[in-house]
Amino acid sequence: MPALVAGGAITSENAVAIERYYAAEESQSRNLGFVLLAIIGSALVASGIILLIAHNWDELSRPLRTFIAFLPLVVAQALAVFVLMRRDQSQPWRESVAIFDVAAVATAISLVSQTYQIQGSFADFMFVWLLLSLPIVYLFRTTVGAIVYIIGSVVWLCAKTGWYRGQSEQLLFWLLLLAIAPYYAALFRRDRFARQTAALSVVLVAATGIGLGYAAEYTRANIGTIAFAGFVTSVYLCGIKFFTRADGRLPALALLGGLGVGVVAIALSFEELWHFGGTYSWSLQGVSRGIAIAIQLFFPVAAIALLIWDYLRQNRVIFSVAAGALPLVAGLAWIIASRAEVGEREHDSPYALAAAVVFNVYALLLGVELIARGIRANSMARANFGLLVIVALALARFFDSDLSFLSRGLGFIAVGIGFLVANVIFFKKRART
Amino acid sequence: MKTLRVVIFVVVALIQLSVPASIVWKREKTLQHGRVWKFKTEPVDPIDAIRGRYVALRLEAEKGRPAEAPREDFAPGGVVYVTLKEDADGFAQVDQISINPLPGDNVVKAEAGYWRDGWEHVSFPFDRFWLAEKLAPEAERAYRENSRRDKQNAYVTVRVREGDAALEQLYIDNQPLPDYLRAQAAKK
Repeated sequence: MPALVAGGAITSENAVAIERYYAAEESQSRNLGFVLLAIIGSALVASGIILLIAHNWDELSRPLRTFIAFLPLVVAQALAVFVLMRRDQSQPWRESVAIFDVAAVATAISLVSQTYQIQGSFADFMFVWLLLSLPIVYLFRTTVGAIVYIIGSVVWLCAKTGWYRGQSEQLLFWLLLLAIAPYYAALFRRDRFARQTAALSVVLVAATGIGLGYAAEYTRANIGTIAFAGFVTSVYLCGIKFFTRADGRLPALALLGGLGVGVVAIALSFEELWHFGGTYSWSLQGVSRGIAIAIQLFFPVAAIALLIWDYLRQNRVIFSVAAGALPLVAGLAWIIASRAEVGEREHDSPYALAAAVVFNVYALLLGVELIARGIRANSMARANFGLLVIVALALARFFDSDLSFLSRGLGFIAVGIGFLVANVIFFKKRART
Repeated sequence: MKTLRVVIFVVVALIQLSVPASIVWKREKTLQHGRVWKFKTEPVDPIDAIRGRYVALRLEAEKGRPAEAPREDFAPGGVVYVTLKEDADGFAQVDQISINPLPGDNVVKAEAGYWRDGWEHVSFPFDRFWLAEKLAPEAERAYRENSRRDKQNAYVTVRVREGDAALEQLYIDNQPLPDYLRAQAAKK
């Protein structure tokens, strides 16, 4: 650096600024390491305490066992008050004491339950624990805590739901998820490009996807296709709209959404996906079924609203048009498939076939557009993803024995031509630059 | 701002404490003042009973009550209120099953089961007897030997009060489990 200053390449102010930049970067990564170590350390200490207590459990009297069950919780709470008052600015302190507290709550409830022979279901235990953990996430601004909470909500959903009558309580999952939204919004406002924001986004998207799967399965409304098309498109559009950096790198959320768009497009090109099952739901009925249907329809509506908003706000479209159009195409295919006679909907019919054909054409166009966008952005990865979509489509049709040789042959010719054209364009452009 | 957060946390902390505390409170009252019921256990499939830290009990009374057909208003897995009666040997039997709460020291909140072979089954919230690590394998062996068809003298005592049922003790050969295991150990 002094040599650069002496040589006149940079001024001394520049040198100071560069040094400060690297110092800040280093301290940030050291800070992350410390946070992780603190979290792991406190989790180990907490589980060690539980094991120590469990060792001589039998010899202890019931009141003593009850006292011990409360001990870790009281210690965690005292520590938490200390952190709130004296160490509130330290992320490692906040994250670890929050983990300690929620673990102590779980320990206290399960030890008391064991002492008093209480056999509530696991799902009920999870639900109480989630409700008690939620305020901790906000008070201690802990992203690890938020991630644990979301994973806990998914575990609760899986434990709660089964194939019997009266399953409307599973819809509380969406309230649990909604309850973490303000935390996510605050984190987004503070630093949308931080690693923890990206991590929370990915976990939130995964949890929403699982919840949507449950809603689609249990409502038996045959709108899962549209719901998932809307969902992946919303994720993709949000990724592009809210997380695009100046350096043009694809944001994690957009990448995730883009992959989702590819997967959904290929999946919906199978005719079986357009068979409609019976619409009687054993587990969700009346109002709760209506709510579950509304949740599923929310995602395509949100995706379309994002598209319209983008269209009205700016003229330059920065997202993939084909990916954005997925919910509309899914809607069109759904309308076609639902034209089938009631008795025929569960089997192959010309309507289901037509819906699948729509998606074959769509997946092809999507692949071509992704390749074109990759070429324009000079990104090999994106162009290759487009090619991957087309190859997946070709493979899917090859193994799909439902189609006749004629239609398979025609499909292959179309895919082949698309492939060749894309490559020619790609290499021409590469040669030019 | 800081004070406000501390105040909110104190409220949250009290709620966190109150959840296990309310369990303790309710159970202690049931154990002290509840009416004692004896539930006979059924013979048990050895492979099925092994659950690590607890003994899986199969209570005879869970067979429920005779019914000609499944009832429309019962959702298997849903909450029902079961009234108990004593049979000639002093063991608990299911008397009535209702979906509405009932008063009395003979009412247990339970789960509706399926209708099978003319019986309306129920599932009581006390079919596991928790034990500690050291005791569990011995207790399970003792329970299994004593609840086979020929030698079926294992039962549990349950205290019932205002719908709450607290599992009190597992008896084998008319002795509380710890005493029984001690006697077995002395015999060896």
